[in-house]
Amino acid sequence: MASEVSLKNVDNACQTAEEFTKLYYKQLDNHRHLISKMYLDTGLLVWNGNGITGNDKIMKFLMDLPGSTHVLKTLDAQPIAESLVANKLTFLIQACGDVTYQNDNTRKHFQQTFLIVAVDSKWKIVSECFRLQVPHNS
Amino acid sequence: MPKRGGGRIKNWKTDNDHFEHDDRTHNPRRVSFKPGTNKGKNKFNNWNKNAKLLLDDDVDMGLSGGQGPRKPFRGRGGRLGSPAPRPRHAGKKFTPGMLPWYQIVIPYGAKHEKDVILRALLNFTSPDIFIPHYYRINGNAAIFYVDDVKSAENLFNADKKIVMPDGFKMVVIVKNAVPNVNVDANMKEKMKLVMAKRYNPATKALDMTKFHSDSDLSEIFCGLFRPVIMLTAIDIIAENIPDIEALNLNDNKLHGLDHLKVMATKLKNLKILYLGDNRIPVVGSLESLRNLPLVELMLKGNPLRNRFNDHDDYVSTVRKKFPKLVRLDGVDLPPAIGFDVAEDVALPAQQQSFLIEPAAQDFVRQFLAQYFAVYDSESRQSLMDAYHENATMSMTTSYLTHDIRNSPSTKLHQYLPNSRNILRITDRESRRRYLRTGKLQVVAFICDLPKTTHDLMGFAVDVLIYTPTMIMVSMNGVFKETASQGSRSFHRTFMIVPNNGGGFCIVNDMLFITNTTKEQEEKMFQSGVPAAAPTPVAATTSAPAPAPAPAPAASEALHSEHHRMLLNALGQQTGMNDYWSMNCLQETGWDLQKAMFIFNKLQSEGKIPHEAFVK
Repeated sequence: MASEVSLKNVDNACQTAEEFTKLYYKQLDNHRHLISKMYLDTGLLVWNGNGITGNDKIMKFLMDLPGSTHVLKTLDAQPIAESLVANKLTFLIQACGDVTYQNDNTRKHFQQTFLIVAVDSKWKIVSECFRLQVPHNS
Repeated sequence: MPKRGGGRIKNWKTDNDHFEHDDRTHNPRRVSFKPGTNKGKNKFNNWNKNAKLLLDDDVDMGLSGGQGPRKPFRGRGGRLGSPAPRPRHAGKKFTPGMLPWYQIVIPYGAKHEKDVILRALLNFTSPDIFIPHYYRINGNAAIFYVDDVKSAENLFNADKKIVMPDGFKMVVIVKNAVPNVNVDANMKEKMKLVMAKRYNPATKALDMTKFHSDSDLSEIFCGLFRPVIMLTAIDIIAENIPDIEALNLNDNKLHGLDHLKVMATKLKNLKILYLGDNRIPVVGSLESLRNLPLVELMLKGNPLRNRFNDHDDYVSTVRKKFPKLVRLDGVDLPPAIGFDVAEDVALPAQQQSFLIEPAAQDFVRQFLAQYFAVYDSESRQSLMDAYHENATMSMTTSYLTHDIRNSPSTKLHQYLPNSRNILRITDRESRRRYLRTGKLQVVAFICDLPKTTHDLMGFAVDVLIYTPTMIMVSMNGVFKETASQGSRSFHRTFMIVPNNGGGFCIVNDMLFITNTTKEQEEKMFQSGVPAAAPTPVAATTSAPAPAPAPAPAASEALHSEHHRMLLNALGQQTGMNDYWSMNCLQETGWDLQKAMFIFNKLQSEGKIPHEAFVK
């Protein structure tokens, strides 16, 4: 059964997820030019199947997207076992909701997963997967 | 006057002037039959505003045929049954009607040749001429139509003025009425020929100016202001020249345009539209055309323009409806000044999958194929092998925003009670409880979820991490629930690690479930027959036991005789089959007491599925 330490990690993951997503979507919607700081230098963004590596490139990619408004509907978080990640505190976060882009103003459903790691007492995105809810049959 | 009560009556009389109803006793004109019509003079003016009447154009608006010839046309709403005094008949007076057409009836006109009658009438109206449409004999009467007020008035005045060769005076009855017509295949074919004649393929322009007066349509009435005919015309265009860019509907007596809404979907390339010299009453009537990408519009000669005192006001009102307009009423518009808000930025195209390492493809495809083969099978319990001892799993679910569907197949009630949405579940204990921990709990939870069929070919798979020690896969896709046949959309992330036996297992599983959108439903299970799925699926479904990862196989674990004893003991005490008993023991480090404790705990929480007891 789960130890006390890992249970504390579960609590921590949830709290961190709340704070992290609040900040992340605020930056993405309102202060996008500051968002590169939220990624590891070697961070990975996979945006609807397009992979972008490195925080500078990620920011450039995100800057080119139309202005956005994200509304979160569900949030979930789990800790990753520390033995698997060299004892670094690592959380898996899943956020789902609706996004409206300024180019067409229609509401789209999105699902997004983050893997974040604590580095020097700052949370950084290791990898992130963003998907709009659309058909994928080719 | 009697003394008793006299004072009151006196008072009443003196105060009389203050009583409003006193007017009634002195003013008999107060009799009224319709609200607001007591100002008799204005009644007819209100008519023209009544657009609804015009749409209802299949009704003969005139007096019925049997009426005497003396009665001038008064149209619908004439107060024939009204006890109010009739209008004075001080000489016959022609009253224009609201419909653009007039029916002319010549009783006993059948006695004479068409030529004789028309020549007699033309002589009378000379120097004005009129154009008779659709001349026909009905019983004894000759009937034809004219399409302008002046002609109708001239003919009205000809009543009983012309002495025919047989000595009788010709009676002329004028009614405000539209020729009746049924659109049949024959008529449609005729319209098609006339439209083909009027189409210019070089400019993709169709000229339907004054369509009804086309010489090739002389025997049938083809007024485009009648919705049924206009819609037929639009159908013909959509079937034959869907890429039409310019349409001229000038001078067709068009009034209501509501039915033209279909043009936006059927004539997607229409950029130039002429609607000049029609009867469009207000700019609001153009609302139905709003979705057309018009760059040029002609509205000259419509009543709607008279409603604006200021020309600029008119232009900006029209432009608001058609923002792409560059030319209105034949005049180029000054370029509109908009805002630079990067509105043309398009989203990058989506890709079906991203692989951080090309080598990940085969592994992930195989892993997912095997996983979902079991997941979609009758029993999910052999997924036990696919999860790590200390695996965690959680699920969240939510309805789509503003989804008004409320059928049994869109209900998410089988998921919602287990949804670990931490935006809603805020207390620590619940957050811990909704996170399934340990593979027994995880698989028990998964076994309780509705049975499914996933559209494997419709998965979007992103491999974000692919190292020897860890693999992170996110997938988006759709599945159907076997029982409800409802379709769902999901997003799921697996963290996969190698296990001791040289295989792989899931250590974190995060699942989000919602309903499918219309677009997803249209494309579901479209990209190939199930046979096209990777072969491992077929192999696994026929024998579900060998699950995804070569986890410690049962035989291996039973090497020890001691383990076998424990297994039998737990099985006997709990009634669980070997498979579940073994997993329970493995998780507790082959400690029978602990295993019993966990079993009792999970059993009391109802978390052990029926399958665990099937031997």
